Amino acid sequence: MDTLDAHTWLADHGDYLFRVARRQLHSDELAEDAVQETLLAALTARTRYAGDASPRTWLTGILKHKIVDLIRRSVREVEIPCDADGEEAVDLLFKQDGHWAEPLRPWGNPQAEAELGQLRHVLDECADRLKPVMAQVFSLREVAGMETEEICKELGITPTNCWVLLHRARLFMRQCLELNGFSKAGAA
Amino acid sequence: MKWIPTCKETTVLASRAMDQRLPFSDRMALRLHLAICENCARFNRQLQEMRRLFREEAAADDHAAGLTAEARKRIATKLQNKPDT
Repeated sequence: MDTLDAHTWLADHGDYLFRVARRQLHSDELAEDAVQETLLAALTARTRYAGDASPRTWLTGILKHKIVDLIRRSVREVEIPCDADGEEAVDLLFKQDGHWAEPLRPWGNPQAEAELGQLRHVLDECADRLKPVMAQVFSLREVAGMETEEICKELGITPTNCWVLLHRARLFMRQCLELNGFSKAGAA
Repeated sequence: MKWIPTCKETTVLASRAMDQRLPFSDRMALRLHLAICENCARFNRQLQEMRRLFREEAAADDHAAGLTAEARKRIATKLQNKPDT
């Protein structure tokens, strides 16, 4: 069997696919697995590739399914999500009467190139610091822009758990960004 | 939930409003609270800002690290050895 195509895909799109996967999976290893499985699947399915999309678009389509598969597997492995730990962490952000424990600081408005590079770094750092399942649900929603219902269905978790995960992810993410240099005078 | 939700309750509503259209009563409760609470109004703006930043970052064809040489080699070998199907 002629594997020439697959090697060309790896050379031309490997880095791109890896970065897309890395962003969703927050793990180098899992992202490498996703790229590998995508190319293997593409090789099998290449007779069905009609060539009406660019190879990159076609491969990215396959990759998305592989990413969801990998996430689904890791969701099964970890017992989630409405654990007491998470709720306790949320409670720390608020006083007993439900008010914020600390006032929220405004965020700066990064303009300079250096600041944008820094910002990207902080976004990645904070995403990596969330619990894996939380980070994955957050990424599927906020980065990939999937609908919440679709995410719950794909991952086989109840809508209620999905909302809880997203809410906590947003609270912690916001907190992390604020603590890591997002708060400056001005803007949002 | 009372007429005006607490900050903690408001963050739940604000988060959910990012994902779906809230029922009328929740929408009103959220709006009432945001009108009188600077912190939660800021929280709400920052939720939108986070979404914008993450989408922008994802769209940028950035120079983040790609596959390592070892990973590339490993995948190439896998492709080479794939049994004919």
